[in-house]
Amino acid sequence: MDHLIELIPLPYTDAVVALGAAILGITAGVLGAFAVLRGRSLVGDALAHSALPGVAIAFIVTGAKDTGSLLVGAGVAGIVAALLMVGIEQTSRIRPDAAIGVVLSSFFSLGIVLLTYIADLNNASQAGLDTYLFGQAAGLLERDVALMGALSLASLVVVAVLFRPFKVTLFDPSFASSVGLRVRVLEITMTTLIVVAVIVGVRAVGAILMVALLIAPTVAARQLTGRLGRMLVLAGVIGAAVGVSGALVSMRAEVPTGPVIVLVAFGTVLLCLLLAPGRGVLWRAGKLRRDRRRARNEGVLVDLDTAVHAGPPPTERELAQLSGRPRREILRGLRDLHRTGMLERDGDRIFLSGAGAGAAHGVHERRHLWTLWLEHGAELDLPDAREPDPHDLRASLGDEHTERLFALGTWRPPSP
Amino acid sequence: MTVPVALEVRRLTVSYNARPVLWDVDAAFPAAALSAIVGPNGAGKSTLLRAALGLVASDSGQALIQGRPVRSALGRVAYVPQRDAVDWDFPITVREVVEMGRYRQTGWVRRVARSDRMLVEDCLERVGMRPYATRQIGALSGGQRQRVFLARALCQQAPVLVMDEPFAGVDARTEASLLGLLSELRDTEGRSVIVVHHDLATARSAFDWALVLNVRAVACGPVSEALTAATLRRAYGAVTTDAPGEQEDLWTT
Repeated sequence: MDHLIELIPLPYTDAVVALGAAILGITAGVLGAFAVLRGRSLVGDALAHSALPGVAIAFIVTGAKDTGSLLVGAGVAGIVAALLMVGIEQTSRIRPDAAIGVVLSSFFSLGIVLLTYIADLNNASQAGLDTYLFGQAAGLLERDVALMGALSLASLVVVAVLFRPFKVTLFDPSFASSVGLRVRVLEITMTTLIVVAVIVGVRAVGAILMVALLIAPTVAARQLTGRLGRMLVLAGVIGAAVGVSGALVSMRAEVPTGPVIVLVAFGTVLLCLLLAPGRGVLWRAGKLRRDRRRARNEGVLVDLDTAVHAGPPPTERELAQLSGRPRREILRGLRDLHRTGMLERDGDRIFLSGAGAGAAHGVHERRHLWTLWLEHGAELDLPDAREPDPHDLRASLGDEHTERLFALGTWRPPSP
Repeated sequence: MTVPVALEVRRLTVSYNARPVLWDVDAAFPAAALSAIVGPNGAGKSTLLRAALGLVASDSGQALIQGRPVRSALGRVAYVPQRDAVDWDFPITVREVVEMGRYRQTGWVRRVARSDRMLVEDCLERVGMRPYATRQIGALSGGQRQRVFLARALCQQAPVLVMDEPFAGVDARTEASLLGLLSELRDTEGRSVIVVHHDLATARSAFDWALVLNVRAVACGPVSEALTAATLRRAYGAVTTDAPGEQEDLWTT
């Protein structure tokens, strides 16, 4: 432990805090994933809130502010809360979200009442118990960090050993029990791991906001990868980064650690939600816009092609009338087509250029192919489970199968 | 001579909240055959499979896989749950899902051996999903998802395959190709396949054996004997319009 702390290029107290924050970030990030993936994020919240009465009762019983015994109290309270939630859910017709809400608020209220009672005792050693509300990384001692490290290591070993059973259970519980896994036991283990994460983090982050550190790293990491193993590692890294930066900032600024960490975590999640390639909001919005624009331009192109074939080159107004599209859409489509050299203008009359005629032909062919696919796709003997892209059937089917599809389209059964 | 039996349930009764979902069901499915379980909504089709595999508790009765109690025969049966029972946004690739079929044999901690990886590739190939092995499962279509599930079951190399509504919401092309694959498993490897199915027409044409279920077992036998107008009327109550020529006598009773 000394060794590790010396390695960090910070003053001693800062180094202890940074190490503690890194440990809690990794633990909460990795273990929180099991709450998020089960769709039970708020169970994490309830477990975190229930740590508070546990800490208070442990203090009343032992009369001392020893981190070890306080955390044991937090752990026991968490397990009791977890059992209560499962119990309420199974013995009554109350839904899980309501059960979580009941347990969370009642345990937290009990914690506040007990903390107030303790404050009235005027016991000199009680000062600072309220840091368990919002968290204070600054007060972490080397002892505390060593304890957190041991807990964290133990739980990470459990995750590593049970990785596959966890993965199967999380993804497909029915299948898991059909191959002989004890799903109930595994689920209890996962809940216990979340309790451990709460114990590791509650001192520094606080009961109220601990849930953010359980959820945020997984949400951010999920945006960046589609594989569970990588996601757990990434969640750990993000958790550590968020924890360390939040803890150090909060020490400098002398504000409670919890809120600062949560704000940093929120920023990270926001960035990932917006920018992640493939899944990010901006990426998807961009794709949607491109798709719509392409559909519009192709539609206008085909309308123009039809009009040109039916009579003299139309004006914009005539084209709008003919196609039944809103005039604004026609204008925008024509503007795009003009820019890409698909059409020519003579006064206010519009012609297709050579390229435009070719493109219109292409669109017609693709639409025809798609119709053929819908009609005869089942007769096509494809070598694998490919699903054709309606916009570009030829590319997704390959030339050979495309020709075959055309052939199927022209073939007619002999009339009896 | 007795026909070898793949799966048998005896006097199985299951209830949810005191309401019986299955009542005193006796049924046997022959080995090396395609069997369909048909019946109206709420007939207990899925529950029958789940109870037979011990996934839901039964009030009474027992289930045998190849003549052995299920608990000691889990390695002999591969279960394919309903597709919508899982979270398809789960961070996992196609290959990883199929690999799950090997875990019971390889052990839950050890590295997946080279031979197991080859088997995974082979199973992906058989369902036509090999080009998609590294895809995230959320990016797949319904038919492709069903193919992945079947590949995972194939990977378990179990003699008995039990599938819950594999063709619900699947396109015609996938249904045809999966049915083809299932008959191939029956013909070349002698595997037994038991499927919860909702389409009486394909049940008649593609399957060998059928159980008509509506809380009680209405009929169980070769499709020609089990799927008659009389049994279907008893199971479905109302008229089933799917069998032309049989409608007449439905109206006259």
